[in-house]
Amino acid sequence: MSEFIQLLLSGLSSGSIYALAAVGFTLLWQASQTINFAQGEFVMIPAFFVLALSVKLGFPVWLAMPLAIILSVLILGALFKRLIVEPMHKHGTIPLVIATIALGILLKEMVKEFYSPLGQPFPSLFPQDVFSIGGAAISIPDIANFTIAMGTIVALQLFLSRTRTGRSMQATAQNPDVAEILGVDIKRMVMYTFLINGALAAIASILITPVYLAKFSNGEVLGLVAFIAAIVGGFNQIRGALVGGLLLGVVDNFSAAYFSSEYRQALPMILLIVIILVRPQGLLGTSEGRTV
Amino acid sequence: MLELKNLFGGYGKITILNGTTFKIPEASITTVIGPNGAGKSTVFKAIFGLLNIHSGEILLNGENVVGLTPKQLINKGVTYVPQGRNVVPQLSVYHNLELGGITADDQSRVKARIEQVMDQFPMLRKFRDRKAIELSGGQQKQLEVARALLLDPKLILIDEPSIGLSPNLVAEVFRTLQALRDQGVTILMVEQNAKAALAMSDYGLVLELGQTRMHDRADVLLADPKVGHLFLGGHIEEDAPA
Ligand SMILES: Nc1ncnc2c1ncn2[C@@H]1O[C@H](COP(=O)(O)OP(=O)(O)OP(=O)(O)O)[C@@H](O)[C@H]1O
Ligand SMILES: [Mg+2]
Repeated sequence: MSEFIQLLLSGLSSGSIYALAAVGFTLLWQASQTINFAQGEFVMIPAFFVLALSVKLGFPVWLAMPLAIILSVLILGALFKRLIVEPMHKHGTIPLVIATIALGILLKEMVKEFYSPLGQPFPSLFPQDVFSIGGAAISIPDIANFTIAMGTIVALQLFLSRTRTGRSMQATAQNPDVAEILGVDIKRMVMYTFLINGALAAIASILITPVYLAKFSNGEVLGLVAFIAAIVGGFNQIRGALVGGLLLGVVDNFSAAYFSSEYRQALPMILLIVIILVRPQGLLGTSEGRTV
Repeated sequence: MLELKNLFGGYGKITILNGTTFKIPEASITTVIGPNGAGKSTVFKAIFGLLNIHSGEILLNGENVVGLTPKQLINKGVTYVPQGRNVVPQLSVYHNLELGGITADDQSRVKARIEQVMDQFPMLRKFRDRKAIELSGGQQKQLEVARALLLDPKLILIDEPSIGLSPNLVAEVFRTLQALRDQGVTILMVEQNAKAALAMSDYGLVLELGQTRMHDRADVLLADPKVGHLFLGGHIEEDAPA
């Protein structure tokens, strides 16, 4: 039982970080029909912003982290939209998808080339302590990661539902034609979505990188997991992406404990196939309309 | 109030409006009729800044508004209720209404106006917290009309409001429009239901192939046999291409 709780908690912890990436992925899709296959690299990169700022430029870590988030918002948000999404979108969804795949490769190779091909140690925000409740060993980073990731998603959800700007963003995602005739600045709302995705990716990066090391290839698995989580959740709502992310984290953690590692790699894919067969609209998805 | 002068425009390279010209006075209801594909909806899109205008002028109180964005036109007192369903499906009725005032600087006035339109359409108050998608088609149309009234527009462009509405609700919407006209609002409406629409309008306008074919007092058009022919799906000019 205590082992079960341990596995569940650490699964929820990584799952909540996957959910950050999956939520951003879903938001981009809703607001601009952008399927961002570079999303994994978007989670890999901000850790290197932190390292570049702290290790190379000598900023203290507490300052490097918020600066990295700002850089991510600007580069992975605004610049990504201006330089890649806007020009490619005119040519349709497929050229844009291919462009994001190319961008993912480019980002990966740039980190490998200009920073390092080797895994880099990455500072953790929290003490690596473990405390025990009823025999279950509970790690502080797990609890902290889960709290921060969930808090971020809840805050985002509140922003989207409780503020006029958030509701204008929802209107833009759900029915852009109507939003436009009501005078919503739809270009700005779409831009906000990209900025938010940049921030979500950066937060996910800062939380998850201490678990591994900072490495150029980190995005490969993360991107796939975010994509699967978004599909599992129905691809059209934040709640779905959240549930998808958590589910993937938990499933992955249990399979790591109970199956051999070859099977573990396959499990997200198996989950994806089962969901597509059984519930093509996703766990929480509805077959029509886009929801937040 | 509103004048279109020799307007040419369309989608991409396709030209739909071929020199559309007409003028409508303030505080009047004008119904635009014409066969499917005549360009009725396209005229509305043109006025509301949603169409590529190749040449010509759209004068709003004497000022050329070609090139203005929907938001700028809203600020000039124009509002547009397009054909079909136009709600934000997952937002509540209340928040759909709120979007009708999203461009206003004074949001406390918007709040007060929402209360007023909910008095006017009690159904909206009853369902204020329901998602718009959960309303029936007729209720959604009422929501759209109410939302369009939120900023006290001077000119309302309303495209086929009666589609999907029961005869009772159509009469209700027409009464609302007439009451607004009596308060000085100018209304330009497209209606498939031409007889009923002309009967409640001041003027009628027949559009065909992106051109104004007839423009007269509504009662005159109603009595015109050529218009009667049009109601049956024909064209004004017998030799006009189908
Ligand atoms: N977005 C668009 N892109 C290209 N062509 C369009 C578009 N919308 C309409 N058209 C074409 O423009 C022409 C006029 O369409 P419009 O919708 O203005 O007609 P309408 O008079 O409103 O017809 P209806 O009575 O069916 O509503 C039609 O031939 C239509 O196919
Ligand atoms: Mg039409």
